[in-house]
Amino acid sequence: MFSVINSEWFKLRKSKVLFLLLVAPLVGLFIGLANSFIEIEGINAWYEKLIMMNFTYATLFLPLISGVFAGVICRYEHQEGGWKQLLALPVTRGKVFLSKYLVLILLMLAMQLMYLVSIYLVGMIEGITDPFPMDIVWKSILGGWVATLPLIALQLWVSIAFKSFAAPFAINVIFTLPTILVINSERFGPYYPWGQPFLMMNISGSTEDVFFVPWDQILMVIGGSFLLFFIGGYLYFQRKAV
Amino acid sequence: MEYIVETKHLTKSFGKEKAVSNLEMKIPKGEIYGFLGPNGAGKTTTIRMLLGLMRPTSGSVQLFGKDMKNSRIEILKNVGSLVENPSYYPHLTARENLEASRKILNVPKKRIDEVLKQVRLHGVANKKVKGFSLGMKQRLGIAAAMLHQPELLILDEPTNGLDPSGIIEMRQLIQSLPEEYGMTVLISSHLLSEIDQMATRVGVVSKGKMIFQDSIETMRKFAQASIQVRVNDNEAAWRSLLANGQKADIGEESVTLQAEDDEQVAGSIQYLVQQGFSIYRVQEEKRSLENIFLEMTREEQAG
Ligand SMILES: Nc1ncnc2c1ncn2[C@@H]1O[C@H](COP(=O)(O)OP(=O)(O)OP(=O)(O)O)[C@@H](O)[C@H]1O
Ligand SMILES: [Mg+2]
Repeated sequence: MFSVINSEWFKLRKSKVLFLLLVAPLVGLFIGLANSFIEIEGINAWYEKLIMMNFTYATLFLPLISGVFAGVICRYEHQEGGWKQLLALPVTRGKVFLSKYLVLILLMLAMQLMYLVSIYLVGMIEGITDPFPMDIVWKSILGGWVATLPLIALQLWVSIAFKSFAAPFAINVIFTLPTILVINSERFGPYYPWGQPFLMMNISGSTEDVFFVPWDQILMVIGGSFLLFFIGGYLYFQRKAV
Repeated sequence: MEYIVETKHLTKSFGKEKAVSNLEMKIPKGEIYGFLGPNGAGKTTTIRMLLGLMRPTSGSVQLFGKDMKNSRIEILKNVGSLVENPSYYPHLTARENLEASRKILNVPKKRIDEVLKQVRLHGVANKKVKGFSLGMKQRLGIAAAMLHQPELLILDEPTNGLDPSGIIEMRQLIQSLPEEYGMTVLISSHLLSEIDQMATRVGVVSKGKMIFQDSIETMRKFAQASIQVRVNDNEAAWRSLLANGQKADIGEESVTLQAEDDEQVAGSIQYLVQQGFSIYRVQEEKRSLENIFLEMTREEQAG
């Protein structure tokens, strides 16, 4: 299993898309610095920054970039017969699928950490002197990551199914764009998988549980969609003729 | 006999069309098996099923006596393959391409240099493969197939895109494999001439059906020269020969003698003269292997 992950990482590393990881902190810096902010007396200045930065980052950027990575990790297999070369090696399809998935979620974790750095930088540049709310930041960084797990599973499935790079990306955009509208709906918002990254990173959400989203919603919506997308993709890949 | 490759009733349908139909392929150990057929005959489809890349509609595949369905991983550890067009990662160099497979195959790093030398790519090992010519990509594919010194090598049209000297090198390389490493080789082609110098067994497939499968010697026997004789009354001459216990066939304009050597030919002609036939022509007709192959596949397509 480790050797398959190793091989995946090798192929991805050489594809020079890792610079995309840098886009996350750049986007963070951009949103953070582009908006002027008025200090409100009595409220930690970081909170305001976080609310504003996380909104754009989590509703748009996070779901979109996760799809791009999923597309890239399949693209070089589609290009010149990579699948048949890879799958004629002594390796199960299950391991290939799982390896690609693991590499993807680790990349997303790395990206979240870089975003964390950008939050800190924005604060430094703007001269925020209030104490850095470490626990709240961690909650939203890790929460945002957990919320992308089902999205990545779906994107991996779609990227394996389509030879073209554009089709999975288009599907991702179609589901991501309505997020801004859906999260404002009290009825549908909590159940929309593409809305979960925002809800998990929204620091003004419920604070009773570990994350900003109640556990039952995490288990039901994120856990449920994860199982659906992961198992769907896994089974699809098992049967795919190459 | 113990077979390295054995398929039973192997069938693959795409919709209503059967791309492979009840195919019984048998390859004994140490053979170089030429898998022949015209375009669209079902060679690649068969090979995909041999490698577990595609599921058969019905029938089974056994390699090394193990069933593909249950022992895929175990089997593939000992199989190297090149399917259809060469497969590669365009963004990697030749060496990196092999490294990506090597990590999974778990063979020593030095194998990469060894196979690159074998296919004469060591000079361009660090170049990106997307800039390679078709022949270079084909060589890289063969190198990848040999990386783990498999017991069975499956090559689908490996000479595709190679220049004449490349074809000769390839032929020498493939010919040396059974002796040096005890490998068994399956090599597909739509040209008999391309493989008749190295194959020891031949399977001919047409429209998804195996229409001939035997040693290359048996196929060559079909190619032996025959003697055609035209006389004033072909039919009577043919009957007369048969009555005398000689083997002959009647054609439209001539009688064909199935004679093994010159003496027999002389004897038959002398006999016909003695019987009072007027002999107009005696000519030898040689059928090349290629002709036989063409006839085989043509008959199948007509029927
Ligand atoms: N994925 C597929 N879907 C539908 N039909 C297919 C598919 N793959 C192959 N076929 C059909 O199966 C038949 C056999 O194709 P195959 O590629 O096995 O032939 P081949 O012997 O390898 O030919 P060639 O010499 O051109 O490589 C063809 O009629 C082809 O159209
Ligand atoms: Mg083919």
